[in-house]
Amino acid sequence: MGIRKSNPFVWLLDPLGPTAASAPYRFTWSQTAWLLPLAVGIAGLTVSAVGWATNAAQFYFSYLVGWAFCLSLALGGLFFVLIQHLTKARWSVVVRRIPETLLWSFPLLAVLGIPVLFGMHDLYHWTHLDLFDPASPTYDPVLAGKQGYLNSTFFIARLIFYFVVWTIIAYKLYTQSIRQDVEGGADIPAKQRFTSAWGLAVSAVTVSFAAFDILMSLDPHWFSTIFGVYFFAGSFMSIMAFTAIVAMILQKKGMLHGVVTTEHYQDLGKFLFGFIVFWAYIAFSQYMLIWYANLPEETLFFRHRVEHGWEYHSAALLIMHFILPFFILIGRWAKRMLPLLAFMSVWMLVMQWFDLHWIAMPVLHEHAQFSLFDLAAWFGLTGVFMAAFMFRLSRHAIVPEKDPNLASSIAFTNT
Amino acid sequence: MPVSSADSEKTLASTADYHAEVPLVQGNLSFHDITELVTAHTEKKTPLAWWGAFSLANIGLLLLVGMIAYLFWNGTGVWGLNNPVGWGYAIVNFVFWVGIGHAGTLISAILFLFRQQWRTGINRAAEAMTIFAVMCALVFPTIHVGRVWAIYWTLPIPNQMEMWPQFKSPLLWDVFAVSVYFTVSLVFWYVGLIPDIATMRDRAKTKVRRMVTGVLSMGWTGANRHWRNYEKAYLLLAALATPLVLSVHSVVSFDFAVSIVPGWHTTIFPPYFVAGAIFSGFAMVVTLMVIARKVYGIQNIITIEHLEKMNIIILLTGSMVGFAYITEFFIAWYSGVQYEQYAFLNRAFGPYAWAYWTMMTCNLVFPQFFWIRKLRRSVPFMFAISIFVNIGMWFERFVITVTSLHRDYLPSSWDYYTPTFVDVLTFVGTFGLFFTLFLLFLRFIPMVAIAEVKGVMPQADPHFYDHEGDGHDHVHDVSLAADQDHTQS
Repeated sequence: MGIRKSNPFVWLLDPLGPTAASAPYRFTWSQTAWLLPLAVGIAGLTVSAVGWATNAAQFYFSYLVGWAFCLSLALGGLFFVLIQHLTKARWSVVVRRIPETLLWSFPLLAVLGIPVLFGMHDLYHWTHLDLFDPASPTYDPVLAGKQGYLNSTFFIARLIFYFVVWTIIAYKLYTQSIRQDVEGGADIPAKQRFTSAWGLAVSAVTVSFAAFDILMSLDPHWFSTIFGVYFFAGSFMSIMAFTAIVAMILQKKGMLHGVVTTEHYQDLGKFLFGFIVFWAYIAFSQYMLIWYANLPEETLFFRHRVEHGWEYHSAALLIMHFILPFFILIGRWAKRMLPLLAFMSVWMLVMQWFDLHWIAMPVLHEHAQFSLFDLAAWFGLTGVFMAAFMFRLSRHAIVPEKDPNLASSIAFTNT
Repeated sequence: MPVSSADSEKTLASTADYHAEVPLVQGNLSFHDITELVTAHTEKKTPLAWWGAFSLANIGLLLLVGMIAYLFWNGTGVWGLNNPVGWGYAIVNFVFWVGIGHAGTLISAILFLFRQQWRTGINRAAEAMTIFAVMCALVFPTIHVGRVWAIYWTLPIPNQMEMWPQFKSPLLWDVFAVSVYFTVSLVFWYVGLIPDIATMRDRAKTKVRRMVTGVLSMGWTGANRHWRNYEKAYLLLAALATPLVLSVHSVVSFDFAVSIVPGWHTTIFPPYFVAGAIFSGFAMVVTLMVIARKVYGIQNIITIEHLEKMNIIILLTGSMVGFAYITEFFIAWYSGVQYEQYAFLNRAFGPYAWAYWTMMTCNLVFPQFFWIRKLRRSVPFMFAISIFVNIGMWFERFVITVTSLHRDYLPSSWDYYTPTFVDVLTFVGTFGLFFTLFLLFLRFIPMVAIAEVKGVMPQADPHFYDHEGDGHDHVHDVSLAADQDHTQS
């Protein structure tokens, strides 16, 4: 029995036709459950459209933050799957299908990214061509020096390149895994490892440069070599929270019982905790080094974020993204107490959005503010993103059911 | 829905074998064989070759002592430092040795947290290496000051002057970071050693040996209660050592990155230095283990699989370091700051281009050969690469330190730094110190964590004897280190 390819319209959501999954690992919630997040998504995007009509710049910034949030989840999932294959991790097999399913978000995210391109003039100061004209009163010699990199054509070409690369890696990992469900394929673990080896190297480079392009160039005078790692840290943290919360929802709906156990949640919690700390380490390194040297061309980024009300956001980021979760999640008991872990997972996902908001918004608003459209775009995009995720989840097994390590993953215990 | 339906179990069983792991301990060894193999070399008569190596290392140690005495008597002017380049070999060597030391903690702590059982074969030697490398490193911050007798002023001790150190200086953070790192590494290593010292105690044949090991093993009986506490302590130490190891080398990187010197001030330094430390540290472990496993005949415990996994980590961290080089170069251009741009052009094409390209070749190019499975399993090849990596990583620190200092903001303060013989011989001398200590370790302490290796052997599985084996050892079949010299070659 082979796997059908999807028709070109569905391809965007899932490149493969539905596969018959065996009983214990099937998505047994309503087959139209994905309509629920889709409704939220459409409602959110409708409100966003109103925002576009009334305040285009606000809309584009809000939209960019929401889009970057979904992108960071997908990229976090990509890294997680790559690393699990490379290290031949056994504990994670039972939860791996969740980030794997997320991988095929890249084509959809590419489509959802089109409004960002229309908003480039509002979002990216360096798209204003008068900056590069020595005769113009707004001529900016520093930005003119970067024109070779920061120009719309090359920017769009780079984005296309990133998405093509991510889609290729995602396609390989996703179809290899689904094919394993159906065919068993003794050669598949080796293939997955092969893809992961080059995939990890390519992803690391592209994600870092994507972070420079999409987020760092919002403030084109500012630069920080660690910024790619900063974006990666937040992404990886989010995917751990996402995986834990999705697994819990699936269990709540009667799936995955006896498959994903407290032991796996504890491990997800450990990774979540570890990357909360890693994020803080990277964030602190970036802040401290810039604060300490206080060079004017770098300090401006933080200057904008510690005045005019943004100081509360910065403090909130420190306390809510690091200090509180650190102390709450440090104990073994906390990671095994599922309601608490669920709460913390949602919390950290909100914090990931808040972090991206904190990076992007001070470029637009000198004075701190939240906008209704921030939430509308975030819910809108995440809703559509989640709907596509659930749609894919309902078409295939929700556990890589013929992975040779599945049995040892189910039996796994923390010692 | 129950998972363990008969059908799914059958499918799982049929697919389970092609993912079977290669055993960590090869040669079908029993528990007793492991004990014999590892402790034999601490019990037998000291081989002549060891005395040879130890004498050589002692010459190096004497050289170090001599150079330090010469330095203290004459002052730091005997080094090749000049006014723009105030940091030279001393700092380069400090960062180099601290970096070497990081692999030990990575292997013993981080791989422990990740439940990587292959660490058990190599963790003892790697931790020992950490401790000795940190001791070598600590030499340099102590001696590179102009007035070594006042160095206790860096400690926050109440004194009659009511003077305190400046807590904003990363050089002070270094004092805390490295001394804490040394202490924790030592405790971690010693805690791991206790069950093995108890094994030595129980095998001791002479009175002196029984007394020394008896004191050091602290009354360890291997009771259930002992092991429970031991495992908890070990986990806690691993969990504490992990952020410690990341922060120590980050603090070392802050020495450079907090400054405003072009080429030093960049935010990627903390993770990039840590990656570089793991890179060079693992290379050093490979260098040492390739020799030790051969000389002491423990190829069945430190197998080619272990070496291959270390080479994969070298490949991974080497690629991270390589990507950091590229990022730094890119951002230097992207920043639009002319000093940054010049600093990097100067590295690649200035008077120190030779050092830069040595670094690039050794760190960016050579580890990439490890993509090829055949090469990363070839012992001579990995030995060569591991040496090149450490040459490359030494040059990385040299390039960062010297090329950034010798040409910065004011062209009137440009100069060239040439080390003197004292610089060079002090560095050579630290290898003497390192190998003196490492040889003593090899001679007197079990170089493999016996208790841990036994814990990951298939026999340790409570259900092992349900299937196979009679529980008897095969000590007659294995060639022990003692007679290997005669039987082989």
